[in-house]
Amino acid sequence: MNLTINERSVAIDDAQTDPRMPLLWVLRDVLQMTGTKYGCGVAACGACTVHVDGAAVRSCVTPLSSLAGKSVRTIEGLVGAAGVHPLQQAWVEHQVPQCGYCQSGMLMAAAALLESNRDPSDADIDAAITNLCRCGSYPRVRVAIKAAARQLAQRRRAAPSR
Amino acid sequence: MKRRSLLLSGTAVGGALLVGWSVLPPRSRLGHAASWPPAKDEVALNGWIKIAGDGAVVLAMNRSEMGQGVHTALAMLAAEELDVPLERVRLQQAGHDAIFGSAESFVGFLPFHADDREPGQESLTFRGARWMTLKLARELGINITGGSASVADAWGPLRLAAATARARLLGVASLRWKLPVAELEVRDGVVSHASGPRTHYGELAEQAALSPPGDVTLRPASAWRVIGRPAQRIDLAPKSDGRAVFGLDVRLPGLVYADVLHAPMIGGSLATVDVDAALKRPGVERVVRLPPLGGAPAAIAVIGRSTWHARDAARQLQVQWREPPSGPLDSKRIEAALEAAARDAAEHDKGFGFHSRGDSAAALAAASQRVEALYRAPYLAHATMEPMNCTALVRDGRVEVWAPTQVPGLARDAAARVAGVDPNAVTVNVTYLGGGFGRRLEVDFVAQAVRVAQETAGRPVQLCWSREEDFMHDFYRPAGVALLRAGFDAGGHLSVIEARSAGDALEPRWMARAMPALSGPVDAPDKTTVEGLYDLPYAVPNQRIAHVATRSGVPIGNWRSVGHSHNAFFAESFIDELAHAAKVDPVKFRLDLLPQRPRHAAVLTLAAQKAGWGQPPPAGRARGVALHESFGTIVAQVVEVSLGPDKRPRVHRVVCALDCGVVVHPQGVAQQVESSVIFGLSAALWGRIDIDGGVVRQKNFPDYPLLTLAQTPLIETHTVASDGPPTGMGEPALPPVAPALANALFALTGRRLRELPLAPLVA
Repeated sequence: MNLTINERSVAIDDAQTDPRMPLLWVLRDVLQMTGTKYGCGVAACGACTVHVDGAAVRSCVTPLSSLAGKSVRTIEGLVGAAGVHPLQQAWVEHQVPQCGYCQSGMLMAAAALLESNRDPSDADIDAAITNLCRCGSYPRVRVAIKAAARQLAQRRRAAPSR
Repeated sequence: MKRRSLLLSGTAVGGALLVGWSVLPPRSRLGHAASWPPAKDEVALNGWIKIAGDGAVVLAMNRSEMGQGVHTALAMLAAEELDVPLERVRLQQAGHDAIFGSAESFVGFLPFHADDREPGQESLTFRGARWMTLKLARELGINITGGSASVADAWGPLRLAAATARARLLGVASLRWKLPVAELEVRDGVVSHASGPRTHYGELAEQAALSPPGDVTLRPASAWRVIGRPAQRIDLAPKSDGRAVFGLDVRLPGLVYADVLHAPMIGGSLATVDVDAALKRPGVERVVRLPPLGGAPAAIAVIGRSTWHARDAARQLQVQWREPPSGPLDSKRIEAALEAAARDAAEHDKGFGFHSRGDSAAALAAASQRVEALYRAPYLAHATMEPMNCTALVRDGRVEVWAPTQVPGLARDAAARVAGVDPNAVTVNVTYLGGGFGRRLEVDFVAQAVRVAQETAGRPVQLCWSREEDFMHDFYRPAGVALLRAGFDAGGHLSVIEARSAGDALEPRWMARAMPALSGPVDAPDKTTVEGLYDLPYAVPNQRIAHVATRSGVPIGNWRSVGHSHNAFFAESFIDELAHAAKVDPVKFRLDLLPQRPRHAAVLTLAAQKAGWGQPPPAGRARGVALHESFGTIVAQVVEVSLGPDKRPRVHRVVCALDCGVVVHPQGVAQQVESSVIFGLSAALWGRIDIDGGVVRQKNFPDYPLLTLAQTPLIETHTVASDGPPTGMGEPALPPVAPALANALFALTGRRLRELPLAPLVA
């Protein structure tokens, strides 16, 4: 089958995969896209978060068979034509990552949030970011999401036509 | 046991460290340029520092980055002494030379009372034992990222290596230009003189490698440009775009993947396995029986085309496991046995005495007011976000390993033992660690990967434990019980404290797994069993602190802050009880007991002041305080808590003050405080591992709740200015969290909670 990943059509070898195979393992072990992480396998920790048609989903429980005709975005595709995503910039500026293992999922969850909510409140962030981080990056995740939201608002003001 | 034998057992942590120490040759801690592997366009000036052709500094990185920011902190030390911006320091994994070994972690094992080791007032015995331990540790060269010791260990040798390299480079410029060194200026790796000449390190390095360094002086604190200044961590960009390579991200040509299933029952073994159904699954290659390795129980590995294919096939295995001969373990029964042992020790003055002063029995008998309390702590799992894994290649008599490990040298030894080759035939590549917290001080997953790689015909294999296997086969924070007693004299002064605790000794067991050549009896006196309990900072004239080493049979290991993780809860909750018994404010009560500990008093005072101690908290909330020293760093915390409508505790604010000596990386310190507080709150509120019928009940995150973003309090970090050498930061802010929270809950509800975790007791 063909998958759309980060705006490119990617051929998946049916002989190498299985319709039941979760997207996580297709990305990691078949396509060698290792930015998306395995944490729990039961959609509890969010380390495997990617976007499917713009929504944050947990790829460890998303079977390949459910993805026909859908568009997948991973951490590797968060860097856009305009360069690094404002979230990535804020992640560096506010020193969010520690071990960093959960951060791909954290960023994808945050990016999905900002796409549906330009100015998230603390409560919005609380509700949207349910990813687990063992190092305790949470306070900085919150600050960085707000900083990225401000940055995006500035960009919109600077280029209102877009 | 007398003091001397205590010292010996502590120094060795069960072992042979003492053998031959008197004949050790002196050794330069800078190492030799020849110890680097040859590389184009780079010139080594000593074992730590190379200069690249473009003038960049290449630093031998001997410590593992697991989130604690050590790569940044150590690179800052090199940048400081070499006068280059932090981004001009490149890291290369250090080799196995003894200069990269740990020293301060081993000093941390010494069972000295805080009175002996207070900086500036160290006792002669401590200084002697410290000297001997450092010397021994340096000869052994065991490289451990642990014990919150990386910056303390690097502070001397790494800065000296960098300063020596700089002196050589400047010496060459001086010779070339015939200008005195003192008149040369260095900025960002560019050497210049006011009269015009200008060059960079890359142009000087080759000649510098052949020149003596001349006078070497470390830059004085007053001239620091990097140390103590804001700096961006050097690992942030790759950790924000998916490029960072963790153990599980290693991808090699021909890589196959392996899942592993351990005997589910602790101590269990494999009876029979029927592999037919599993081998019929698509993408599966073969099944390998694994003997117990590196402390892991017997297991079965399934090799497949992907981790999913391997795991899918593993589910089809028909396995008969065997119970351990001693029967299935039960954590409730263990905890009851620990309680009985602690009570028995108190009644009959049993256990190994780690600290005694005055006559505690007489003081208790004479006390006009007595307080007694029993405290408990459960087993805990590490739950690193990246599950245990290792990638290995065995080919042509050589072994190559890619591992997220805190102990590259011990991993190398473990790989060599399994493969039956010389350690020099093993290459260990250390990846980023998706969390460590002490779990990756173990070598079980490395030994297993190498064993599996022996079955893959020269192809590399990546062994990945499922989250369930990771929870069920951890080396847990040991459960512990302590019976504490105290008495006030007729004048109302705290005259005596006694503690009798019971629990398994963990370091001898860890050594048996990780460095079997140095292992000793498993219940040798282990300082970690009582650390934070036997060395209270408080001036109490009569003390007796003893521990009974038990044999519970549960695999235990080093869990972030180790013994402090539960002993701080015991000690600082009990001190709070005493303050309330004496009807004295808990901060004042502690300060009154710290006349000889001005640094502790300063930290506590700062925390209290920043938290608004003494002023009423916001409506519905209460505050609790705790003070604890670990890994050389003194930390005080004030926790503010309320109860939600569901009666669940809600932590709003944690104010943390600390003295960690010189602050090398300020944001790193703040980040480690946040990290430790959040890690500590997960454990204090909900953390527990139960063993039922021999099997660990908590198998995945839904069974073992971790704090979420929504539950995270405001965390503030305040440091006391210090010019002392840097001390630990990866762990010390964890131990005070649980007691500060329990003390806050007492202030809020009037109920004293003497057992962890706390949340179920409140609801």
